[in-house]
Amino acid sequence: MAENSAVSVRRLTVRRGAHIALHGVDATIPRGSSTVLVGPNGAGKTTFLLSLLGELPHSGQIDILPLNGRAPRISFVPQYANPAARMPLTAAEFLSLDGNRRPLWLGLGRAARRRAARALEQVHAENLLQRPMCGLSGGESRRVLLAAALLRDPDLLFLDEPAAGVDMRGEQEFWQLLDKLRRERGFTQIMVTHNLPLAAHYATHVVALNQTLVAQGAPHTVLTTDTMLRLFGVPIHLYPDQCAHLEQVCATCGAQCGLASGAGTLFSPLPAPPDGPARRP
Amino acid sequence: MPDCTPLFAPLLSLFSALPFDCLQLRFMQQALFALLLLCPMTAALGVQVVHFRMAFFSDAIGHSAFAGAALGLMLAVDPLLAMPVFGVLVGLSVMAVQRRSALSSDTAIGIVFSAVVAFGLAVVSRAPGMARTVQQFLYGDILTVSANELAALLLLALGALLFQFVGYNRLLLIALNPIMARASGIRAAFWQYAFAALTALVVMFAVRAVGVLLVTALLVVPAAAARHFARTAGGMFWWAQLISVTSGVTGLLLSAQPWLATASGATIILVACLWFALGAILRHDAME
Repeated sequence: MAENSAVSVRRLTVRRGAHIALHGVDATIPRGSSTVLVGPNGAGKTTFLLSLLGELPHSGQIDILPLNGRAPRISFVPQYANPAARMPLTAAEFLSLDGNRRPLWLGLGRAARRRAARALEQVHAENLLQRPMCGLSGGESRRVLLAAALLRDPDLLFLDEPAAGVDMRGEQEFWQLLDKLRRERGFTQIMVTHNLPLAAHYATHVVALNQTLVAQGAPHTVLTTDTMLRLFGVPIHLYPDQCAHLEQVCATCGAQCGLASGAGTLFSPLPAPPDGPARRP
Repeated sequence: MPDCTPLFAPLLSLFSALPFDCLQLRFMQQALFALLLLCPMTAALGVQVVHFRMAFFSDAIGHSAFAGAALGLMLAVDPLLAMPVFGVLVGLSVMAVQRRSALSSDTAIGIVFSAVVAFGLAVVSRAPGMARTVQQFLYGDILTVSANELAALLLLALGALLFQFVGYNRLLLIALNPIMARASGIRAAFWQYAFAALTALVVMFAVRAVGVLLVTALLVVPAAAARHFARTAGGMFWWAQLISVTSGVTGLLLSAQPWLATASGATIILVACLWFALGAILRHDAME
């Protein structure tokens, strides 16, 4: 078990009835990393995340490793909080639910209000303090959820597709914000995502799952065309210099592939586009 | 059990100072006091029932009162004791089925609900004379509440107040996302079971006030009406309190007027429904 690991997983198997959701997964999450869990639908990404959180019965070993001799503080950012329809819960109230002994019906004290405002400031969402949670857009809601998770000053931050349903720009801003906060505060981040380009850009560690471990390591070594093909059954180019085919330009997506690794041809050779830059995902 | 009547006599006599003829009667004073204890509890729990989307749960518990009373009569146990014990067991069973099975919440509640109602009917069908005794729980009658029941209600109200003080934020976080709540160190299972048990107890007392048929309304209508008026979750709690207490008191006093002479439980719920209608109209206007 490496000293700089935050989480160590050995032979993790999760069954859901007769279905095996995960089988014999060995994985290590480096401390301070931005780890992403990638894979197709049904690959067991969320199952893996929930197992780490102790939410699912499993076999195998999961070690959440101590930090400076104490158990790490854990926070979770879900895809969404689930307020009942038209429930008039403001963002300030939501942020005061955890860690505030005074019940909401006695009102928010000044300290709780300041604490909520500071939390929103961190995620650049100060303007949302008095807004009802049920009236927030997808992107705004994700920021408030992130602010709530950060209030616990986590050592380990788990995120389950936190930007799902947000447009590309909003999702990019969310990742950028998360990356900045992680660098500033030093927490370890473990996130389920389907956004491979942003994972390639922001992650420092990738665990690729498809009911079993397909690959893990630095994004550059995991998010290869070959791994993408094994995971999704379609060619996806995230790094131009990692294409496994010999051509300069991918016949399928038009990515400029530069130096080929020469491991074989995945696509039929087609002439390069006559003009203009090739598309990149 | 000692008679608690002297304990409440000074307080009840204060009600006679109010300018309502009907409040000169002791049973009306007791009924008013019972509603002043009960309505804040049903309002607070109603807000949580709405947040948890558990209206069907309170309905199932209410119907279990019928089976509990029947079981008590069959076993020669005071139905007023058998009802809450049985209700709490049903509440905990619903929560256990809900938490442990892959069934959706309403399906889990529906199964337990069906089982307890069928059980109650089966018990009653064995002794035809029992049907009339059990029938009183269908409609409820707050006017027959005893001083000993008031004492029990007072203790329950104090317990509920403590529960709401300590558990309100936690339960709301659990309702929003249980995984997030557990990751924050909240013992979600404990709070969910405690909520189910307390709701079951309060519902059993509410059955005495408005009957099995209307008990869900006593929880849900004030909370739903409060949502129209409130702009914050804290505000919703207080609006629900206001609506529930005013509905209880107004409904009781109206039902006692000779020109109306309706069942108190039904009148209370009708007043609460008027609140809801008013809120819906005002909100609709505000949105336009």
